[in-house]
Amino acid sequence: MSKLVLENVSFYHGRGTPYEIKALDNINIGIPAGKITGLIGHTGSGKSTLVQMFNGLLEPHEGRVLLDGVDIWSQPKKIRDVRFKVGLVMQYPEYQLFEETVFKDIAFGPLNMGVPESEIEERVLEAADFVGFERELLYKSPFDLSGGQKRRAAIAGIIAMRPEILVLDEPAAGLDPRGREAIFTNILNYQRANGNTVVIVSHSMEDMARLCDNIIVMSAGEILMSGDKDEVFTQSERLTSVGLDVPQITQLMNLLKIKGVECPDGIYTVEMAFEYLKNKLR
Amino acid sequence: MKSIALGQYYPSNSVLHRTDPRIKIILAILYIVCSFLCKNIISFGLLALSAIMLIIIARVPLKTIFGGLRPVLIILIITSLFNIFWTSGDILLFEWKFIHIYLEGLYSAAFMVIRIVSLIIGTSVFLTYTTTPIDLTDAIEDLLSPLKKIRVPVHEFAMMMTIALRFIPTLVEETDKIMTAQKARGVDFSSGSLITRAKALIPILIPLFVSAFNRASELATAMECRCYHGGEGRTRMKVRHIRFVDFIPLVLVLILATALIILNLLRIGFTI
Repeated sequence: MSKLVLENVSFYHGRGTPYEIKALDNINIGIPAGKITGLIGHTGSGKSTLVQMFNGLLEPHEGRVLLDGVDIWSQPKKIRDVRFKVGLVMQYPEYQLFEETVFKDIAFGPLNMGVPESEIEERVLEAADFVGFERELLYKSPFDLSGGQKRRAAIAGIIAMRPEILVLDEPAAGLDPRGREAIFTNILNYQRANGNTVVIVSHSMEDMARLCDNIIVMSAGEILMSGDKDEVFTQSERLTSVGLDVPQITQLMNLLKIKGVECPDGIYTVEMAFEYLKNKLR
Repeated sequence: MKSIALGQYYPSNSVLHRTDPRIKIILAILYIVCSFLCKNIISFGLLALSAIMLIIIARVPLKTIFGGLRPVLIILIITSLFNIFWTSGDILLFEWKFIHIYLEGLYSAAFMVIRIVSLIIGTSVFLTYTTTPIDLTDAIEDLLSPLKKIRVPVHEFAMMMTIALRFIPTLVEETDKIMTAQKARGVDFSSGSLITRAKALIPILIPLFVSAFNRASELATAMECRCYHGGEGRTRMKVRHIRFVDFIPLVLVLILATALIILNLLRIGFTI
């Protein structure tokens, strides 16, 4: 079942000016409920524009965006409610921190929603736990944190709004491997704990393979492929044709297949490859 | 957010675009002087004509010019209303209760409008539309360089201006980004009282200032790493040479100024 559906959505940057560019071209997708969906595409393929469609930050020029079957733009005055239901963590979200303490910053979203004061603390602490934030850090200034901590504080700021869908635009960009690992583990735990719908934008195939159930591939403002992760990763030629790649371990398995080793499709993590080869070599 | 700059460079290849920026700064100053030399109908006519000629020569589309005039529209309307209603003279055109409109008032209103409009057209055509900001700051540095003798840090001022200009688009883009991020957290910029709306700007301004300060210190480090140490002994990549053709517009504007002075001496037409 799809939680969020985009029907024939098109969007133009600089509409009506001589510099008009078609950013999204007739997009038809569904975001399945309770799963992690990965959105992959090259720089400039329209991923960030697309995620801003999800929570009504941008209004499509053509087509409709349906949340639980309701057109989000049917009541433009209530678009703020949609932004609370679909929590979007922007690229490099640490830029959005501004409060005196991390606690207050995480509380900013819920306060805007009109959550009663008594419930704020519970929500902030819950969100902080999800992103693995130590309690004593909550009372520090967000500007004294490290890059990875800032990132997690910003993500917690969205989680505290308890969105029905959590959308993360490149959540691990510019972080070191440990920071990446922590962020992705946190997201996985968050999703598993509540069975939430999550959308992650990235161009790292390895991360996508590990985290996501479904994959949507974008290229030049269009949907190139969308579906189960197995379906998508078996079509390595199509992915390479748009400058993307299957995970490195899948490339290795494909090479082995060419060399005559019997390998199944659909191996895209090192653990899976290890298990398979171990059994095979036994 | 995109219309922040008052005047903007309009890329083209007109004679004025190719004129040396130092000459263009002098031209702009002369043109301002000219607009204040005007005192009668004929001289204001000349001024208006010269402004139109400038637009034609610079090949800047009228739409861009009018776009640049829009911010001063209210000032124009208010000053001309003041001039129409509060100027007294000899020839009464219209009278109703306390309202008296004299021919002199209409004239001075028209003169005021012509003066302000040509002033803006003149300076923006010479400076912003046909000269890139970088050329402009270089030219200012050159023109002010005699002040170095009395220890005015001319180069440093020019460098500060260049950097400020360079970062305007970056800051605009960043403001957009932060605004979108805060909107996603439910900030509402478009409704509520004036105070709530002003408060909604805090989550934009604080991150913007923080990142501007960070960027400034990073830029300073990067410049020091490349051994920047101020203007002493620093050469330019592009060295400008004033050519003979650059003097032609200068001569033309000087002729205009002389004509205006002569017209003032003759005291013909309607004078203010």
